[in-house]
Amino acid sequence: MTPRKLFRHETILALFVVVALFVLDRQSDRFFTLDNLFNQGRLMTEVGLIAIAMTFVIVTGGIDLSVGSILGLSAILLGVFWKSLGLPLPAAIGLALVVGTLAGLLNGLIITRFRVPPLIATLGTLALYRGIAEGVSQARSVRGYPDGFYVLGQGEVWGVPTQLWIFGLAAVVAAVVLGYTTWGRATYAVGSNEVAARFSGLGVDGTKIAIYAASGFAAATAAVIFVSRVSTTRSDMGTGIELDAITAVVLGGTSIFGGRGTVVGTLLGLVLIQALKNGLSLAGVKSDGTVVLIGAVLILTILVSNLFHRNANR
Amino acid sequence: MLRTSLAAVAALSLSTGLASAQSAWTGGDDLPTSPLACDGAAAAAEAKPYDGGEPTDAPDRTGKPISVVDVPKLIGIGYFDATSKGMSEAAGEMGTIEATTDGPVEAKIDDQITVIDNYITKGVDGILFAANDPVAIAPVLKKALGAGINVVGYDANSEPDARQWFVNQAEFNGIGKAMIEAMVAEIGEDGAFAIVTSTFTTPNQARWISEMEAYAAQCHPEMTWLETVEAQEDNILSFNQANTLINKYGDELQGIFGMTSVATPASADAVTQAGQCGNIAVVGLATPNAMKPYVESDCVKSVVLWNPVDLGYAAAYVLRAAADQTLKPGDTSVEASRLGELQVINGSEILLGDPFIFTKDNIGDFDF
Repeated sequence: MTPRKLFRHETILALFVVVALFVLDRQSDRFFTLDNLFNQGRLMTEVGLIAIAMTFVIVTGGIDLSVGSILGLSAILLGVFWKSLGLPLPAAIGLALVVGTLAGLLNGLIITRFRVPPLIATLGTLALYRGIAEGVSQARSVRGYPDGFYVLGQGEVWGVPTQLWIFGLAAVVAAVVLGYTTWGRATYAVGSNEVAARFSGLGVDGTKIAIYAASGFAAATAAVIFVSRVSTTRSDMGTGIELDAITAVVLGGTSIFGGRGTVVGTLLGLVLIQALKNGLSLAGVKSDGTVVLIGAVLILTILVSNLFHRNANR
Repeated sequence: MLRTSLAAVAALSLSTGLASAQSAWTGGDDLPTSPLACDGAAAAAEAKPYDGGEPTDAPDRTGKPISVVDVPKLIGIGYFDATSKGMSEAAGEMGTIEATTDGPVEAKIDDQITVIDNYITKGVDGILFAANDPVAIAPVLKKALGAGINVVGYDANSEPDARQWFVNQAEFNGIGKAMIEAMVAEIGEDGAFAIVTSTFTTPNQARWISEMEAYAAQCHPEMTWLETVEAQEDNILSFNQANTLINKYGDELQGIFGMTSVATPASADAVTQAGQCGNIAVVGLATPNAMKPYVESDCVKSVVLWNPVDLGYAAAYVLRAAADQTLKPGDTSVEASRLGELQVINGSEILLGDPFIFTKDNIGDFDF
């Protein structure tokens, strides 16, 4: 391993994660138990799925602020399709996933066809999708799903929370696609220099549309898992989750300007935040204090990483 | 297209509910009402079997010091600071409860679930909660019960079987009676009034209006209801709606009910600006801080709500009683020190008591 590689952001972040886990373990003997770790994985899955897709979005130099609203919309529609329209639950889940993907696709189309900056386009659809969700739900929640559905969000398969299998699969697929396929390299190319990518004959628009659609699909999947975990649907589900996802992605070393970032980094970012939230709470720090500490760690990590980078690039 | 199909669905559900008569006052719902007696006689507690949950294999906590976490909807707002204050007052009196308040910084269900989950892992003896969503919070509370933790709710309930007891701050019929009585005290038995509510379909407000109507029909039949107007929970819209009422009805209008914590101060503001203080009474549900200016200027005489300090105080005593097993399924009352004997209602709820009326004399004591 060359020294250059050693000072990668991911390496530094991994070091932070190890230190954090070690320190938090010292604070409470309940932290490093299998039960707690699985439980934290359960709580992390929804943000995690969204953050993985968000990594791709941010690598292209874009951003998707509408994921929380897509989550809310898909969740509400899942309930409406099932309860009000009387569809079988698997069909309702399928349709909710389709709607989420279409919502993401629409983001992609607005961004590529009308050249609207992603920040503005998804800020618009953030309001739009949430508004539709509120309108459809009429402030009423849908409950009383069949017990079998709760296996997804509250149950276990082979001793591991069900949704962790989904999350693990998504993480592996995403890491391989971004790291080892031509499609992944096209994603980096779009983010580093869009004009050059275009002149190199890459399908820039197609890549972007597919990525925003995937982001919508991830948000809809998160919605289904979320509904199963909390056993009800509400139109305000997922409010603010986009910021949690973006935080994890940026903490994971993905450049907000595009062209740089890995799925592994995002996973490390997710783990660090979740470990801090849980570990600090077990250590007796209250929620308000935890939020402050997470903000501080975020800034510290980025600062340290930048410091090493400047040295390494010299 | 979506709207029309939604309207069709709504129409369908309405037509199926035709059996029960629609409320005569606009804004009420068509659920059955249960008005309280006109005099002070307490309503006979309806016998309903216990429908709460039970902690699994809870250790014997009788008389032992216990650690309790209070998880409100969110932290950092005056209302839940007040409930938290009540809990520490109770803890101070008992000396055997160590109560800490911790909750989400925003009223989000998933954050609240995470906070509770972490405290289950940490290992506490008791959990007090005010749910952001009755169903969403149920799985994590059941997990707590399964871990042998005593679970008691206050302010906002969960599904009954997900907790042991719930301290109910006010029943709909209690609020209905308090509102009508406060209005009668100001405008008399034959006064005419209007209502500013959020929307006609908001569940709590619709329930209160129906109970007010039922109580008025039974105890003060000479009162005249003029109109109910919708004002969302929007400050400016509430003000405009109240203003419209004042102009529309002129001298006929003697009182305005504010059904939300936004509508009440906005109506008071409209009455103040119209120079009608003393001519048009404003009675409503609101928090004291928003109403202080109008109460202190004598424009508003009574603000109806409950006392959140007492609510937290009662919740702490109920939790202690549940942990000590002095409050068991089937009991009809529980002792809560300075609040006296509290009644068990609806199977597994404990009624805090009559609604609290904030007046010029006591409103200064509250800060939320």
